[in-house]
Amino acid sequence: MIINILIGLGVALFGFVLQTSVAGINRKVIARLQKREGPKWYQEFIDIFKLLSKRSVSHGWIFDFGVIMAVGGIIATAAFMPLTSTFSAFGTYDNFFIFVYLLAVGMLGMAMSASGSGNPWASIGVMRALTTMLAYEVPFMIVVLTIVKLAGSSSLTAIQLYQQAAGNHWFLIALPLGGIVGFLALMGMLGKKPFETYIAPGEIASGPMVEYGGKQLGMLFIMHEITVFIEVSLFVHLFLGGGATLIEFLLKYFVVYTFANLISNVNGRFKIDQVVKFFYKWPLILAVVQAIIAIYFGWVI
Amino acid sequence: MTRLSKVEVDRKWWEIGDFFRRNSLWLLMYCTGCCAIELPPAMTSAYDMERLGMGPMATPRQADILLVSGYLSLKTLRRLIYSYEQMSEPKYVVALGSCPINGGIYHDSHAVINQLDQYIPVDVYVAGCMPNTESVMNGFVDLMEQIRNKTAVGWKKYHERFEWYKANQINSLGEIDVHDEFHE
Amino acid sequence: MASIELLILILVGASVIAYFLTKLNTTVGSIFTIFATMFVFASLAYFGFSNHLDSVVHLLPGVTFTQTYLGFYFAIIIVFVYLMVSFFHPYYLNEYKYKNSYNLFFLLSLAGILGAFYTDNFIQLFFFFELIIWTTTFLIPQGKSREAAVSYYGFSVAGSVAMLLGIFIIYQSTGTFGITAGLAALSGTPAIFVFVLFLVAAFAKLGAFPLHIWLPIAHGNAPHPFSPVLSGALVKIGAFIGVLALIRISPASVLIEAIDLPLGQYVVAILGSMSIVFGTLMAIKEDDAKKLLAYSSMSHGGYILVAFSLMNSVAFAGGFYHILAHALASAGAFMAIAAVARQTGTTKMSELGGIIHKMPITYLAYLVAIISMAGIPPMGGFISKWLIFQAVIDKGMILVGVAVFFGSIGSFLYVFRPLAALFLGQELSEYKVKVKEAPLLMLIPTVIIMLLNVYTGVFPGAILGFTNNVIAELGYVPIDVAAFDITVFNSVLNPALISLMFAVGVGVAFVIFIVLKKSRKVGLMDTYTAANFVHDEHLFHYTKDFYAPLERLYEKQSNWMTSFYQSLAHKVKEIGRLAKTFFMSHYVEVALIWIISIIFFLLWGEIL
Repeated sequence: MIINILIGLGVALFGFVLQTSVAGINRKVIARLQKREGPKWYQEFIDIFKLLSKRSVSHGWIFDFGVIMAVGGIIATAAFMPLTSTFSAFGTYDNFFIFVYLLAVGMLGMAMSASGSGNPWASIGVMRALTTMLAYEVPFMIVVLTIVKLAGSSSLTAIQLYQQAAGNHWFLIALPLGGIVGFLALMGMLGKKPFETYIAPGEIASGPMVEYGGKQLGMLFIMHEITVFIEVSLFVHLFLGGGATLIEFLLKYFVVYTFANLISNVNGRFKIDQVVKFFYKWPLILAVVQAIIAIYFGWVI
Repeated sequence: MTRLSKVEVDRKWWEIGDFFRRNSLWLLMYCTGCCAIELPPAMTSAYDMERLGMGPMATPRQADILLVSGYLSLKTLRRLIYSYEQMSEPKYVVALGSCPINGGIYHDSHAVINQLDQYIPVDVYVAGCMPNTESVMNGFVDLMEQIRNKTAVGWKKYHERFEWYKANQINSLGEIDVHDEFHE
Repeated sequence: MASIELLILILVGASVIAYFLTKLNTTVGSIFTIFATMFVFASLAYFGFSNHLDSVVHLLPGVTFTQTYLGFYFAIIIVFVYLMVSFFHPYYLNEYKYKNSYNLFFLLSLAGILGAFYTDNFIQLFFFFELIIWTTTFLIPQGKSREAAVSYYGFSVAGSVAMLLGIFIIYQSTGTFGITAGLAALSGTPAIFVFVLFLVAAFAKLGAFPLHIWLPIAHGNAPHPFSPVLSGALVKIGAFIGVLALIRISPASVLIEAIDLPLGQYVVAILGSMSIVFGTLMAIKEDDAKKLLAYSSMSHGGYILVAFSLMNSVAFAGGFYHILAHALASAGAFMAIAAVARQTGTTKMSELGGIIHKMPITYLAYLVAIISMAGIPPMGGFISKWLIFQAVIDKGMILVGVAVFFGSIGSFLYVFRPLAALFLGQELSEYKVKVKEAPLLMLIPTVIIMLLNVYTGVFPGAILGFTNNVIAELGYVPIDVAAFDITVFNSVLNPALISLMFAVGVGVAFVIFIVLKKSRKVGLMDTYTAANFVHDEHLFHYTKDFYAPLERLYEKQSNWMTSFYQSLAHKVKEIGRLAKTFFMSHYVEVALIWIISIIFFLLWGEIL
């Protein structure tokens, strides 16, 4: 048990290092797209460590406690994530719903802390984050309903093994409409443009992060990196068949994140009611149609 | 804002902290005057600021550098001092243009201050009216050199000579925290 | 006390004694109520778990009792909530207009509950049911809002009259009033009628769509110590009748093969889903904290209906666990709001702020309660929602799945709003001096319920083992529950492990936090305002129209059901006026014509 816990913490650390490096490399890719030289590939690490070394302000015990709860919840979630179809810290306990709801604990901690800072921009940002979550989760969960019904189990390892079995395609190919909906929901989850409404630096002074500086902001950045790691890994395991080896997983991870980043860099930002209206129109219809044709008619590619 | 002793301030400062701080400087875009027009070229493709690790941030609490770009009227100075005191430490001030140095072309105006250094400590001045974008980038690189040599200690000076700065501020402004905003 | 009948008689006697004691001195009467409820709970818990209660009847004529795991499960949860709430009586009763009879009705309704869940005769079920409705109807208004009591009474009596009609149909078709005998012998067309009528009763008591209008009015205006009971415990009576109808009657009807579910149950699942969605949407709009929690009860009632209509044991386990988890979470949240309302005098979120600085324990109790209500691990609500999700996915029901997921995510939105508006944020100047932490006797049940919320989330094994007995009694295969694992449909959940990892994660984060530099403490007014000088806390506190962009999307449609019921009442009044003009007009000739034609029609059957 202790070994498993330590391996889980190791997975969380690995996820943090992986995502921070990938984010740094992506900054360079985007910079080259915009015809300029970008920062170093380890720039994100420098940002986070600089923040951790500053001395900031605190607005009370709930301000600090919320940040600790957020980071703690995220580390706990990342410990359950399987890296390949054979390696995971806790074996078969990696149920899909654990990830979705433990991520909510992280967000709740951050929301508590942001509201406890006494700034209305933070509360507005939290309101937008929760509304965006309401928007993208429902179509995503319907697609996952289809996937779990087809794979016969809601454990991520079992879903990966089902896709890697001979004669089965990845769910991105087997359920094409579902794959599109899953990717749109992933962009909503990552908070990438056009769904970047809850940060919105110009509109609401960076939303929930308005009163953070120093170590609280550094810890929130760590939380954000690990959250991105969990979400992109979820997409890779659910739709792209996970990875039989670590190299395969890393490659798929990098491709998915870079693709999402590239799309987001050419888009503007939606208003919050546009986000809700967007997700409840075509993605929901596509998800329901995909579920009907996959479960009741059995037309799976 | 309370005073801190030197020992308290130096505790837990590491060498390596300076490496992180000079390679990832975040600006608070306090565009007080005309020199702010030199910042967009510094951020975009030609003179890319991001390769030095710098980038804009939205609020004082998140930022490292307070960028004073141009002349400072009395109204703006009040708010500038409020923002400077809200920033997290260590913090640096970069003053662009001639106006913070000696008043510039507004040196004889009744509503503009002449020497920013009397009110808050400044680390780097970039002279010119207005300075070229390359000069602005040079100023940032100078600041990074000063951080490496541990001479960018404006924020420590603010703590040590707090009464002197406060006396100057009250002398020129009368009061800093203005009441009766929004008919409270 | 091991005899059910004696417990009920003792409660009736205690209620009368409590009336006279409260007339003398409110505190003494309330403390007597606390002890009476504690006595009942202790005897129920001690004897009832293995059905060791004595169900022989000596004194009451014609009354029969029987012990079932199902009845015991409901009874122990409801009696526990009553016990926790009774601790609040000494602090609240002095402000109410009819405080003498408060304890009387409280204990009488408890007697009704014990009788309703242990009886074996339909007529007695109806009698105890009506006893509960009558006593709680008089508890709700307390001189403040007649509309609350009237709408609660109207809908509940409509439900119980429907149930009475169902009981008579059972008697007519099987010849007996006994519950076990009657339900076993029921079949065919009468079974379908009884199914529909019992479901009307269940919907009326649960507050599910379409019979949900009374929920916000009644729960919002109920006295503060009674709301936890109303919302957490009494709506579960509707769930009990729902279980009777859906599982034990379960008439044979058209089977929808694609999902392997009979048509009747599918309709109930759809109505339950609409209940979830509407409850969530209306709760997001509300400004009053108690009305918001009332809509949340409607939404969770929908979850319970969906769970019991899926006809497989995983869903039943989820439904039973949800009854427990929701009762505890709802009671915890209402208790916290009651404590705040006592200190500040209002429950409207747009008038409050920053209470956490003075009442941190109440804040923690509320936080734990809403984490459970939103279905987030490591609290109890996650386990029941997980079981319901797995059951819905296994059946492959898509529309119900949309509603279930929507309700689960939407509940984050509406439970977060009282947290941010009431407890967090700026400390408003009008509350800085007079707000203090709640007194110790009120804190004890709040903390107990908080700890129970955590316990149901970390160690569900014991409780799920007990609900397996209930499921086996209903005739289904129990679910696979090991010491720490729950295994359903090839998926395993280990709640204790999740909680352990959460604790480890928080520990690591705490270590990181402590090692770094200490932060400078500043007050809440020193915050980023783009360097404007703002000195009024009210300008900083964002509470009004919290979810305004989302609300704008469905604002116009949100009062359709209320106007529907209002126009229905209007039409009934019109029909009454029409009958009045026919039968009670001023002209003698009209009355004469009616009399002659009635006598004619009566004699037609006889003579002609």
